[in-house]
Amino acid sequence: MKKADYLTGLALILLSVYVLVESWRMPRLQELHVNPFSVPGIVPAFLAVVLMIFGLILVVRSVRAGGHHLSLSREGIRKTLADPGNRRLLLTAVLTFVYAAVLVGHTPYTLVTGLFIFVFVAVFEWRRDMSRREMGRMGLAAAVLAIVFAAAVSYTFERLFLVTLP
Amino acid sequence: MGILIENLMLFLQAIGGFINPWALFHMAWSTLLGIVIGALPGLTATMGVALITTLTYKLQPDLAILVLMCVYVGAIYGGSRTAILLNIPGTPANAATTLDGFPLAKQGLAGRAMGVATSGSVMGSIIGMFFLATLAPLLGNYALKFQSYEFFWLAIFGIVISGHLTSLEDPIKGWIAGFLGLMTAMVGQEGIHAYERFTYGTTELMGGFALIPAMVGAFGLAEVLTVMRNPPAEIAQNPQDSVIPRLADILKYKRTIIRSGLIGTVIGIIPGVGEDIGAWVSYAAARRKSKEAEKFGKGSVEGLMAAETGNNAVVSGAIIPVLTLAIPGSAPAAVLLAAMFIHGIRPGPMIMVESPLFVYQVVAMVFFATIAILIYGIALTKPLLKVLAIPRTRLMPVVFVLCVIGSYAITSRVFDIWVMLGFGLFGYILREMKYPMAPLVLGIILGDLLDKNLRRGLVLTDGDITPFFTRPICIVLWMVTFISILMTIEPVRHALQRLFKKNLPRRA
Repeated sequence: MKKADYLTGLALILLSVYVLVESWRMPRLQELHVNPFSVPGIVPAFLAVVLMIFGLILVVRSVRAGGHHLSLSREGIRKTLADPGNRRLLLTAVLTFVYAAVLVGHTPYTLVTGLFIFVFVAVFEWRRDMSRREMGRMGLAAAVLAIVFAAAVSYTFERLFLVTLP
Repeated sequence: MGILIENLMLFLQAIGGFINPWALFHMAWSTLLGIVIGALPGLTATMGVALITTLTYKLQPDLAILVLMCVYVGAIYGGSRTAILLNIPGTPANAATTLDGFPLAKQGLAGRAMGVATSGSVMGSIIGMFFLATLAPLLGNYALKFQSYEFFWLAIFGIVISGHLTSLEDPIKGWIAGFLGLMTAMVGQEGIHAYERFTYGTTELMGGFALIPAMVGAFGLAEVLTVMRNPPAEIAQNPQDSVIPRLADILKYKRTIIRSGLIGTVIGIIPGVGEDIGAWVSYAAARRKSKEAEKFGKGSVEGLMAAETGNNAVVSGAIIPVLTLAIPGSAPAAVLLAAMFIHGIRPGPMIMVESPLFVYQVVAMVFFATIAILIYGIALTKPLLKVLAIPRTRLMPVVFVLCVIGSYAITSRVFDIWVMLGFGLFGYILREMKYPMAPLVLGIILGDLLDKNLRRGLVLTDGDITPFFTRPICIVLWMVTFISILMTIEPVRHALQRLFKKNLPRRA
């Protein structure tokens, strides 16, 4: 956690500096004779100062604990990727992002939703030692869930809530 | 006395308004859905209320809020089933329930534990409801005195206290989350000169980040990722004994119930501090006062009662600031607040002037939801166990599809799906690094309030900050805020403790 805190602290300081610069560059609206205390940059700058203090505290605290000794070894990455939990996490992230950020909006919604549910179930329930019968049962369950749910969501939002599907 | 009768009449009018087949039907399905959502590990009350908000666009405002309240109350109660049977809190609110609920189940008393949880939840809801009905009108009238200076401190107070209490081990992380939320709220057109901050010409960002997609991401996608990463839960065992709540338990632990109900309500009122903290504080207080403290953690009925009374009392408590100040008391209450705005209801200090009936309608909603959880608690134990057996590999894709369509449906913008994804990933990373989510959400809501009121206050005084520190309500708010911060600094805390230790014996 100390390494994560160190990096978070640095990120907060960078964010604060960026916000401070941007706040300074925001218009003062003198030509409109507005009160100088109502200018748009004042609150973001105030928040940036507070976040910078927090960032500095995190950095100082983590440096004292030795969190600034960062290292990235091939062995460490291999270990992280070999962990079954991390693998599931990565797979979930890839599937959800491909579905929501790439496919939805560019392909027919009902079709791609059904496909997403089917692939998600199949990928996570598939095991190497599965018999054909088990695989068939799992595939059927995934297909039924995919078809029923994709159709139900599409119908509910399009027909009942009158939302144009993405 | 006259006001009391007038308020009672409003309450009865609100109750009467919901006694029709259509409202009762909505109450029945939404409470049941809430219980199921709460019971399923990985589906939290916040996520449930956020997702169901997207299903209530077409309903009348009072029916929509009724549905959301029932989901909220149902989810907080439903989480106790999983806590007792699986030793996994169905929602974070039920974490304290596992401590005594699961040991009771292991002793073959799962049914009894569920009965105690039902009694606790019902009693907690009733106590919370009583304070909602009595305190909300009072606070509403009091809030009319608030000016820019008070609202500024209220925003800072909310972030600091919420950040502190939701991250007790390392409060700075809670504060960082809160201030990041405030910073997020700075994106978009500001409310005084309509200048677009941090939008860089993007029209989608002109209105800032919408709250519902952000919350669906932070509580939906982040949860999906967490659930899929963790090892799967074991299948639940069927309880053999009776699940019917016992009146004797309520009478025996009446002190614990009242204390936990009060603690829950107060914790609920504090901005951004939710059901989980309410349950933990109630549990800790019950253990301190108990004659059977040694049984706590080994299957104490009193401990279970305290946790479940505490978390359900928070629900009504959290609604009090929503109605009177437009500031959420908890994360699900933040979604409720957003839903109220979507449906054209304007909560805030003017509510007792503009629509006093609505306050009592909300009380009536809690009343009906409480009756519903009692009925379901007795009748629906076995079918619920079947729901618990649904594997996460089938539940999570369905939940995620709802996250996507729910974020999109509010304004039909694909951009909101990206907002959901962004906040989901950001929320997951923050959560992994032990940053709490509630202050982040509170910050997004309070950002606008802080922005407008700090600048308005400074304009009114022409840059003089004295009124921010000298007005009576301000004094209380800033002192509590600063003491909360000072108490986290080790040398200051030690010095204060030494001071107290030195002075206390002399006084005695």
